[in-house]
Amino acid sequence: MSAVLVVHGGAWAIPDELAKASVDGVKTAACEGFSVLKRGGSAVDAVEVAVRALEDNTVFDAGHGAVLNKDGEVELDAIIMDGRTLATGAVSSVKNIANPVSLARAVMEKTSHVMLTSQGANLFAESIGISTVPTETLVTEYERREWEKHKNYMTGVIEDFNTQWAHDTVGAVALDSAGNVACATSTGGIRNKMVGRVGDSPIIGCGGYADNFSGAVSCTGHGESILKVTLARLILSKIEQGKSVTEASQMSLQHMGNRVKGAGGAIVVSPSGHWAATFTTERMAWAAVEQDVL
Amino acid sequence: MTDLLPVVVVHGGAGFIPKERLQLSISGVCAAVRTGHAILKGGGSSMDAVVETVIQLENNPAFNAGCGSVLNVKGEVEMDAIVMDGKTLASGAVSAVRNIANPIQLARLVMDKTSHACLTAEGANQFARSMGIEEVPQESLITEYSRMRWRKNLAPDANPVESQMGKAGTVGAVAVDLEGNVACATSTGGMLNKMEGRVGDTPIIGSGGYADNQSGAVSTTGHGETIMKITLARLILFHMEQGRSVEDASDLGLACMQSRLGGLGGVVTVDPQGHWAARFSSKQMSWAAAQRDIMHYGLYTGEHFTQSIN
Repeated sequence: MSAVLVVHGGAWAIPDELAKASVDGVKTAACEGFSVLKRGGSAVDAVEVAVRALEDNTVFDAGHGAVLNKDGEVELDAIIMDGRTLATGAVSSVKNIANPVSLARAVMEKTSHVMLTSQGANLFAESIGISTVPTETLVTEYERREWEKHKNYMTGVIEDFNTQWAHDTVGAVALDSAGNVACATSTGGIRNKMVGRVGDSPIIGCGGYADNFSGAVSCTGHGESILKVTLARLILSKIEQGKSVTEASQMSLQHMGNRVKGAGGAIVVSPSGHWAATFTTERMAWAAVEQDVL
Repeated sequence: MTDLLPVVVVHGGAGFIPKERLQLSISGVCAAVRTGHAILKGGGSSMDAVVETVIQLENNPAFNAGCGSVLNVKGEVEMDAIVMDGKTLASGAVSAVRNIANPIQLARLVMDKTSHACLTAEGANQFARSMGIEEVPQESLITEYSRMRWRKNLAPDANPVESQMGKAGTVGAVAVDLEGNVACATSTGGMLNKMEGRVGDTPIIGSGGYADNQSGAVSTTGHGETIMKITLARLILFHMEQGRSVEDASDLGLACMQSRLGGLGGVVTVDPQGHWAARFSSKQMSWAAAQRDIMHYGLYTGEHFTQSIN
């Protein structure tokens, strides 16, 4: 079984000045994740490593470099899912944690629950010794400036969300040598979001889904639209009906565009090793590694 | 438009309902379905019908939603709810919200008054305040019964998941109005003695509920974590999109949940033509439906009582 790892760093109109850093970032993360697979590591380990690398990279809206909510604070969401058992861990609206994807994994492995939110998620993090970091270490100058800018003309204009706003959620999907698939997605959400806003990223079936029977998906783009069509699960339902990874992704993204006027992107890997990186936004930073080819 | 419209189906939780609470559960869902039915007959929308129905169930202390919610491990009430509009796929949800009487109402406001689909915890409460929603003392949501069960399940050898299975249930409703629009609503206090901040299936779109005019609407109940892992509501609708009936699709979804993950649950399902089903893999699920002036209801597997709604 040939291992595959695909990562994305967000689907949106990535400005030229961020383009190179975004591509470099996803390439590095993909390689780091793939090295786990090469060593015989699991798909779950690989996606966690890849997403951690993206969270630590300030160019992306996840962990470090996350956008700020209306109150100028950082609230993070993440999900991780194991296609072998359907075990899942997710956190929403968690603060002061550098690697939400790892906290999500801890929810999956150390609790009988699937999802923890907010204060409860933070209490859990404390209880297992995950260190909290001051908000300032997660906030970049760039994001602080952007928040200031948008604070002044924030009117909740839905149309703008789709095209101009940053949607650089990060994610990864993997197929390991044992034939197991996994996915992980992490984000700081959308800039100037309402306090406590939860987007698609930590929502099972929307921001991500993994099932050894059909494949693993991680999504990015306009969160509220992805939620409405349960994008990850939709893509996999088409694969279940026999569509290829590319067709399934394209059809689903098109459906999202037609039905709810939302744009986004998805990375998919099937249990047989086929993969795709598809998007309806102007750009999407992505990278895949398969048989040592990036 | 078929003469099967309008229709509303309600559930009051899947699991095992102790004898002494059976009557409360059945009368609760029947009263609520009457409310939904009246709204639909008067030309009201399926969204109005499901929301008003669930508000009534939240206000009824016999159910695990709003007043009567189970307590988390700290003895506090954190509630989750979702609404979804099948016409536009618009949806509103709240998770881990405190001190409000009607989370379903807040979920609807998230859908109608914000550009978001889900708000959690303190953010959800902030939004409630901004909407002028009254904050209620936690005590008003806590019943003797839920406090007693919380205390019992604090014991180290207690098994809250087993104990949970149904004694007080998540509530929900689905409906199709005279225009053929479908909607769903689900509300809960969550799992007995859950960790603080635990979010179950209820506010998760595709898991606790889903509504799409192109296929139908579903509201679910049962073991939350398992429902989430198979995105039960969306799974059932995928089956319907492929031509299965409301019963078959619901049964297939529940069977997958049981065979793959050993979880039990129940659903109420409608299609846009007005076909409906109330199905469950647990021992019981209190449910009621209203269609063509007839009220249907049941509790144990295979039960199906009917009476004139008037």
